[in-house]
Amino acid sequence: MQEQLDKALEFANYRQSFAIQRKTLKEKIDAKLTYGFSGGIFKINRSLLNFVEMLIAKGRTENVVILDVNDNPILVEKLEPFRDEIFDRYFTATFEYLEQYQKIKKARSVETLLEV
Amino acid sequence: MSKGVLLFAHNNRQIDYVRMSILAARLANKNLQVPVSLVTDPSTMDWIKESNIEKNVTDTFDKIIITQRPEDTKNIKNYRDGSNNTPAPFTNGNRFSVWEHTPYERTLMMDTDYLTLTDNLSQYWDVDADLMISPCYNDIQGMERTGYLDTHISETGIEMLWATTVMFTKNETTKVFFDLVEHIKTKYKMYSDVYRFNPTLYRNDISFSIANHILNGYQNTKDYSLPDIFSTADKDILVDVNENRLKFLISQPNNEYVATTVSNKDVHVMNKFSIMRNYDKLMELAQ
Repeated sequence: MQEQLDKALEFANYRQSFAIQRKTLKEKIDAKLTYGFSGGIFKINRSLLNFVEMLIAKGRTENVVILDVNDNPILVEKLEPFRDEIFDRYFTATFEYLEQYQKIKKARSVETLLEV
Repeated sequence: MSKGVLLFAHNNRQIDYVRMSILAARLANKNLQVPVSLVTDPSTMDWIKESNIEKNVTDTFDKIIITQRPEDTKNIKNYRDGSNNTPAPFTNGNRFSVWEHTPYERTLMMDTDYLTLTDNLSQYWDVDADLMISPCYNDIQGMERTGYLDTHISETGIEMLWATTVMFTKNETTKVFFDLVEHIKTKYKMYSDVYRFNPTLYRNDISFSIANHILNGYQNTKDYSLPDIFSTADKDILVDVNENRLKFLISQPNNEYVATTVSNKDVHVMNKFSIMRNYDKLMELAQ
């Protein structure tokens, strides 16, 4: 019985470490998806990516106003370089997220978690 | 516009803030690619000379600004190191003077226990806001360890900002702000009655929060702010630094600890003793 309890406590300890690692990783990626541009701050997410791509598809590529995280209007003079920058940052960050997340998911003990 | 980081370091007998500031400065300089200056006092300068680290200090800092040491001898704080407590003067009552002392047009003022391990704060230099402060504390483990007094200045008070990182442009608007912070410090007891907080220990976080509240027309407003202060508490212990990873023991109820690591993420390490124990390894991160 004691052995089972010890195993359960060890697993609980592992799950706590896992939860902290996952939270830290998520916030790390979130910071990488924060983009300061032309006096504003943008959160690079699917909504922003879609909106910018849609504007370009509609031919609105210059002097476009986009609302930032505080709903302040930010003038983007050239939208295509802005699109390229946010896509680049998004893919870099999300690939890193995937890579790191898989590592912590595969780690089955506190010791291996700490090596991630 | 010139940009730079400004740190304050006033040593006490228990905490060597100057050595911590060298570490914080080297990390900020490496990751933010801006110069870093230091505000200190004559007695701390004497210690720098006696300890033979003068060259290290002059090599690290862009400018060294010597000012009067704040009279905070009665401002005693319990510095924790895991479960141990060490009372010592908390000498940081002159942060309002950052406006006067900064040699930069755009300044990032940081605590010396804030380790800049990324370039994330670089995103904020050109934000169209005169003043930005971190809006909240972000505990490494999450909200379950965050008390109401980590997010508010008192049980009935306003939301607390964290003056661990503050970015501002030197202009007339921000002068009004920092003058107001000085006024609040001077009349701290009176403001504690008005804003209903415990005045026993002077905290910049509280003065900055009140000044911000007053200048926003006595209300909370949604405005630009710096990122949350990702923090380990002083009861947590930094046990090792290895290959870019900071290994922490995170305090749990019943005197237990959970291990975790942090890498490539800015982190506020409140346990200053554990920074000093891992000083050389942390300095390697700044190479």
